[in-house]
Amino acid sequence: MSRARAFVQERSRRRLILLSLVLLTLLLSLLFLFAGRYPKPGFTFSSIWSQGGMAQSILWKVRLPRILLALVAGSMLSASGFTFQMLFSNPLVEPGFLGVSQGSAFGAALMIVIGTSTTVMVQLSATFFGLLALLASYLLAQRFRFGGSLLRLVLSGIAVSAIFSSALGVIKLVAEPTKDLQDITFWMMGGLWNASWKQLFSILWIVLACMLLLFSFRWKLNLLSLEEKTAHSVGLNPKRDRLILLVVATVGTTLTISITGLIGWVGLITPHLARKLFGSDSSFSLPGSMALGSLFLLVCDTLGRTLLPTEIPIGLLTSLFGAIVFIIILSLKHQGGKA
Amino acid sequence: MNALGIKHVSYTYPSGTQALENISLELEEGSSLAILGSNGAGKSTLLDLILGFKQQGGIQLFGKEIGAYGRKELGRTLALVPQTEHYHFSFTLLDYTLFGRSPYLQAMGNPTSDDADIAYQALEEVGLAAYADRSVTNLSGGEHQLLLLARAIAQQSRMLLLDEPTSALDPANRKKVLSILSSLHKRGKTLVFTTHDANLAYALASHVAMLKQGSLLCFGKKEQVVNTEMLTTLYETPLTVCQMGTETLIY
Repeated sequence: MSRARAFVQERSRRRLILLSLVLLTLLLSLLFLFAGRYPKPGFTFSSIWSQGGMAQSILWKVRLPRILLALVAGSMLSASGFTFQMLFSNPLVEPGFLGVSQGSAFGAALMIVIGTSTTVMVQLSATFFGLLALLASYLLAQRFRFGGSLLRLVLSGIAVSAIFSSALGVIKLVAEPTKDLQDITFWMMGGLWNASWKQLFSILWIVLACMLLLFSFRWKLNLLSLEEKTAHSVGLNPKRDRLILLVVATVGTTLTISITGLIGWVGLITPHLARKLFGSDSSFSLPGSMALGSLFLLVCDTLGRTLLPTEIPIGLLTSLFGAIVFIIILSLKHQGGKA
Repeated sequence: MNALGIKHVSYTYPSGTQALENISLELEEGSSLAILGSNGAGKSTLLDLILGFKQQGGIQLFGKEIGAYGRKELGRTLALVPQTEHYHFSFTLLDYTLFGRSPYLQAMGNPTSDDADIAYQALEEVGLAAYADRSVTNLSGGEHQLLLLARAIAQQSRMLLLDEPTSALDPANRKKVLSILSSLHKRGKTLVFTTHDANLAYALASHVAMLKQGSLLCFGKKEQVVNTEMLTTLYETPLTVCQMGTETLIY
């Protein structure tokens, strides 16, 4: 077999795995449409869904937008996590890395406390402060006189996160305990219980555009994980490309969490799983990570809304499963191996 | 045709430290230039300027000002073999070599089977084809240097820039890298490399530029400029150039 043919066959094999993963996610989405606590806990496959009224409302106005939001949010958070990991040449980072998550959390909490907690205002505020945190980390890193450019970014990200985190603490202190504090706490635990078509469409097009842009950079992400001089030598403009991708990943993340609340670990573990399945080449591991992110969030959300009589916030489940998967991945990693 | 033209180039770092002062030289296509000097002489800075990584006017590649090149065009014109590179992800050797094909890809494209063929040939040339599917994280220091060379070969550029290409290699790997570079030079590739090793400069280069504290001490064909007097001035220590059969030895 010629080497070129082996190369093509290997790519076809990876494409097939990716396609299977997407199909599995779609099939499960369809299946989970019939899972919930109405009319009884668990799966209900009966003619009730075709009888109109409450049943159809639950199916089309509650469960379907919620499932679609889980797919979109999972994919976006994974794509952002993957992008951050490649841009910072570090498999242990995610968008929280540069203060983005804490900045968004502060922005959302601020709107909730001010009392203008409409979806759009929370979204705008979370996005604005997420981007502000990114900008602050970036500008602060330029002023640091310690370590290389990556280390400076890491350190400035830690500082910016701490500042937003303490500001968030102050907001929680002054928040009205029976309503605002609860809203903030639930937002910080993450959840899709508020999902509606209106909410979904309020972020869908921009988030899809962000995902498409990240996807179109999938080969370049490989090169951007190398040293800047090397990326330059193979025909890239690394400074410009890094900035574009950072902003796109941050906007996508902040918009997503502005309606889902903080959902941790998705952006950290799915890139690791994808690299196990597809290899390190981002051409496949990025879309693989996006598909796995959708699947992971879909499963977590379905468990969260069906396991107990009260809903379990999705952020708690992603943290729990994420940490378990993370421990397994790191334990299985062969000695001296890299992500 | 001149592959490289540098006219009165100086470079000062943002901190105010002057790294290079009034450097001028011209190099014919197909030549091999050693930029020779001790640590801190400005060799790597000069290489960065030729690469276009640090911006400065007054440098021409193949008759065209470096600033007039598009990014991909520049990538097709020169390739870099850095002194070392850190691996953060488990790319395969084939993945890594394919990175050299990037200047030839469409805007959002991926490598084709033709690119894979070229990458395999490059791996074959450095003797790593059998390990194409192995992870880069499992390489020895010598194999690591050979892989960086394979990526640059796959880039099929007109000029190869190498930063201290053999400084971290054992004698066997040093000989291997030298042999590959000599072969590339014989096939008409223009080589520009930095080194503090006068023996390597003499063995591989057709021309030598000696840098001392950011200034050009001398530039010319190696037979004209590599001599006891110049090397002693360059390194500020007594060095002797002697002929042993067909070999020239500097000690």
